[in-house]
Amino acid sequence: MAIVLDGIVFGLQLSLLAVGLTLIYGLGGVLNLAHGQFAAVAAIIGAVLVGRGHAPLVAVTLAVLAAGLLALFIDRTLMRPVYKLTGEARVLLSLLLTLGAAFLIDGLLIYYHPSTALNLSVPRLGLDLFGVRMRGSSIAASLVAIVVLVGLMLFLRYARFGKAIRSIIQDEVGAQLCGINPGRVRTVVFVLSGLLAGLVAATQAMISSVGSTDGLNFTILALIVTVVGGLGRVSGALVAGLLLGIVYTLASFHIGAFVTFVILLLAAIATILVRPSGILGKVS
Amino acid sequence: MLRVEDLHVAYGETEVVHGVTFRVDAGEAVAIIGSNGAGKTTVLRTVCGLLAARSGRVEFEDVSLTGRSADRIARLGVAYVPAERHLFPGMSVAINLELGAYPKKPDPERFAYVYELFPRLKDRLAQLAGTMSGGEQQMLAVGRALMAGPKLLMLDEPTTGLAPILAEEAYRALAQLRDDGDVTVLVAEQQVPLALELADRGYVLEDGRIQLEGRADDLEHNPDVQRAYLGIA
Repeated sequence: MAIVLDGIVFGLQLSLLAVGLTLIYGLGGVLNLAHGQFAAVAAIIGAVLVGRGHAPLVAVTLAVLAAGLLALFIDRTLMRPVYKLTGEARVLLSLLLTLGAAFLIDGLLIYYHPSTALNLSVPRLGLDLFGVRMRGSSIAASLVAIVVLVGLMLFLRYARFGKAIRSIIQDEVGAQLCGINPGRVRTVVFVLSGLLAGLVAATQAMISSVGSTDGLNFTILALIVTVVGGLGRVSGALVAGLLLGIVYTLASFHIGAFVTFVILLLAAIATILVRPSGILGKVS
Repeated sequence: MLRVEDLHVAYGETEVVHGVTFRVDAGEAVAIIGSNGAGKTTVLRTVCGLLAARSGRVEFEDVSLTGRSADRIARLGVAYVPAERHLFPGMSVAINLELGAYPKKPDPERFAYVYELFPRLKDRLAQLAGTMSGGEQQMLAVGRALMAGPKLLMLDEPTTGLAPILAEEAYRALAQLRDDGDVTVLVAEQQVPLALELADRGYVLEDGRIQLEGRADDLEHNPDVQRAYLGIA
């Protein structure tokens, strides 16, 4: 039971990580392979600021904003040629450019901050849940994730801008004819995805520590969750994040960390074979 | 209101519209008639910004539209209802209509106007657009286009996929729009009798060129038009 709860805590972080990725894919068929690197950048900036004596809340807020700024920069530079293309060429160019950005960010972080890591855990607080002693920081991380995810769902469902986002995913030409500027919406959502990735660095740092080499892991996890949840489906990303979080935690407890990634990849492969549009989609 | 001068449009190297000139004055209804593949859709898609012109001028209320994006042109008051409708299939009728007014909050009077024009939409507000019949989807597409209170409403083949009785119903709604007088109508149509009955003036487009233009009554009685489009020998 304790492991399942840990799995849910981790799964919420995975959901938070994947929603941004899946929204960007839905809006323009672009997969951002530097997504996890946004989180790593936020973690290192946060750690450096904490190291300089800033209050953790201030440091984390600045770090999350920095991840958003980095996303804005990448959208305005690397993504511009991508969105000028259509179809397969767009997907390919986006994969290559964001992969390059991921390598570059990883390289810089590991070169300048090889052993820096953000750790925000507050081990003393605790709470009993279903007879299991939960660490206060796990609960705090989960609450943050839940509040943000619910807020995002409500925003997409009821806010005018949220409806505009969904309209582009469903029919981009139709959205343009309604006066919606898909380019601007994509930029806003790209920044939002950067902010969310930065937030994951903070919440994950409450549970364990997040270091300069974790970007790739985050990217892979986010990709797997996005595929299992169905590309472009926010609700799918939420469910898949929770499921895979439990699978991940159980597998790494009982079998070991290396095999865990193989198991998650198998889950993604099985999803593509059986339900290409994600676990909430139709059976093929 | 709308002036199109010497418009050339190409898909890659292949030019399909070769120097089309026409105008639409405020308050009138104009039809562009012609057979399938004549270039009607291309002309309308270029005016609304979904396609780029190779050369020529498109002006709306003395503002040049060439080079502007489709969403900006929509916000200037040019609404376009494509033959494929491009509704949001996974969203309700109500949200489809609401997005028509984007970025503004939809005006309740506009909702009321659209419901009066298409009472069936009001009964289906919660239904997903993708699950409606072709006729209802056409109503929704026109309704959505009207939500922002456009000055010019352009429709491409509003009868596509509709049974004859529904096609006539669609044109009755357009006639009411024309009579209400707060929107100018430009329709591209191969169902020539319906279009000429609605329109004040018409243009005959063939192989990417305007072959004939004039008052709708005159076109209706033109022997060439009768032979080619009205089935009168």
